[in-house]
Amino acid sequence: MKHPDHRESIFQEDAEIISHDCHPCEQYVLRLRAPYCAAKARPGQFVHIRCGDALPMRRPISIMRVGDDRIDLLYKVVGAGTRLLSQRRVGESLNLLGPIGKPFPLNPERPRRLLIGGGVGMPPMIFLAETLKAAASDTFVILGSEIPFPFLPKPSALLVPGLPDSVIGAMPLLDDWGIASRLASLQGFAGCHQGYVTDLARAWLEHSDPGQLADTELFACGPHAMLEAVATVARDYTLPARLSLEEYMACGVGGCAGCVVEIHTPQGPTMKRVCVDGPVFKASEVFPV
Amino acid sequence: MTSDDIENATESSRLTSVFCGMTFGTPLVLLSGCVGFGEEYTRIQGFSNRDVGAVCLKGTTGEARAGNSPHRVYETPGGMLNAIGLQNPGVDAVVRQILPGLDFSETRFIANVSGSSIEEYIEVTRRFDDSPIDAIEINISCPNVKEGGVAFGNDPAMSARVVEACRKVTDKPLITKLSPNQTDIAVNARGCIEAGSDAFAVINTLMGMAVDIETRRPVIGNDQGGLSGPAIKPVALLKVHQVYQVCREHAIPIIGQGGVASAEDALEFIIAGASAVGLGTALFYDPLICRKINHGIERYLLRHGVETVSDLVGSLTLNRGRPFQCGC
Repeated sequence: MKHPDHRESIFQEDAEIISHDCHPCEQYVLRLRAPYCAAKARPGQFVHIRCGDALPMRRPISIMRVGDDRIDLLYKVVGAGTRLLSQRRVGESLNLLGPIGKPFPLNPERPRRLLIGGGVGMPPMIFLAETLKAAASDTFVILGSEIPFPFLPKPSALLVPGLPDSVIGAMPLLDDWGIASRLASLQGFAGCHQGYVTDLARAWLEHSDPGQLADTELFACGPHAMLEAVATVARDYTLPARLSLEEYMACGVGGCAGCVVEIHTPQGPTMKRVCVDGPVFKASEVFPV
Repeated sequence: MTSDDIENATESSRLTSVFCGMTFGTPLVLLSGCVGFGEEYTRIQGFSNRDVGAVCLKGTTGEARAGNSPHRVYETPGGMLNAIGLQNPGVDAVVRQILPGLDFSETRFIANVSGSSIEEYIEVTRRFDDSPIDAIEINISCPNVKEGGVAFGNDPAMSARVVEACRKVTDKPLITKLSPNQTDIAVNARGCIEAGSDAFAVINTLMGMAVDIETRRPVIGNDQGGLSGPAIKPVALLKVHQVYQVCREHAIPIIGQGGVASAEDALEFIIAGASAVGLGTALFYDPLICRKINHGIERYLLRHGVETVSDLVGSLTLNRGRPFQCGC
């Protein structure tokens, strides 16, 4: 009897909290010792975390970085689960399932990649960028936030043609990797574009020649309205785009069909599970014309 | 399932039982709607279908159904609401594409039949009768669809009609899943036995609601959903006890379910009259809980000198010496 290939692809671990750093507006960066998950995780995947005994249902959180035996997560307190999570201390353990979900597929025929992350949608873009270090010059990252970024923006040493001269703020970690990035916010943060991430995306694409556009693919994670705007940009420039979605989730392994989103296929609309059919979907299937 | 497989599945034959003629390696049953079509949880390292007596597949209808709009799930104190809406690919796809991929040497697989009309229940049951499925559960208690489901289950006469119609088209074990959302579950059970039900699953979810006070809208896309989890365990336990009063004279077994999250919970259900114990929401808390519950039950049996789990079924001694009537 041949069993499905997916068997034993997700690990349950009691992950020790190595560090748990608070950033403005209740944003937290959580570093966990989770060697099995870390060894297999790929950009776009997430972990399903039990935040504490008081709330036994798990919460899905995207993976931001992996190390030898650890994973980094970024989350913002938005409800009871993340509130409970924020109260957990270094040295305690969190039970997690991971890595879960289909990662971002990388098309070798489109090696020029634009990554767009908004709010707590930034982590999958940072993870994806780290795996693209070898192709740093072909990768551009745009991050947006309406609260202070969970890192200190710095003027970038990397030039990005086509953008306003005043937009120089970048994520230092991405600069260290040789990957250009720029920041956007409506809040008027210094060095950041005062507007939407898609404004910067359009400016960057507008400056691209037809050959470059033919090599380009978009990747995005963030609020629904931002994803819809990214899908519109992709459609306007006839570019493929992959979006990472979220939805309330129960089992996290495909068993309950609780986390579905409507996906539009050539055969018509269908409900797909964010946990194992996604979380990454084609923009054209999430936001059809 | 061979006897060797059963030995491998459990550390003790104390947990092995016979349910409607089927050998269950352990008294645990994974509940319909929680484990997809039987292979979803095997994604998790350490999880095995061998750790349970049976797996109930996702509710299946005659044609494919898209199910309800999001949000479909929401955590509530001691449990959760769900309103999936019977999303499934239709019985033809289940029989032709899904069942051939299931490993029947690992556990028993039970189909869950749903429909909007008696004709649909008959059609789906007939298709499963002509398949390798081990047993058929009739879902007359789904609270999350407009037609069928609990609309049948809340009316004892309609429940019996559905069971009778399905009975005519299958010789496989027929398990009726009863709703707690009805006046007298025992009356319904009696009618279903007379109509040909071989067993019961007690209970399905309780109807519930959650409100987002910022938007002043229900959280669940379907407005209302089914409440599950530890919060409903006392309700489920009483329903099992009540249905058992009807079942024991007919030797009809019960799958007791509703909020089971530990070996102690499972033992309560068995003592109250359940021959097997269903797990659903607890899997969301801990997907590797089955083995822990099996070991807990086994330790209890050893500690109390009980030979097999079957010997414990319905061993409840009432304080008042007679079946429960009213709490007042």
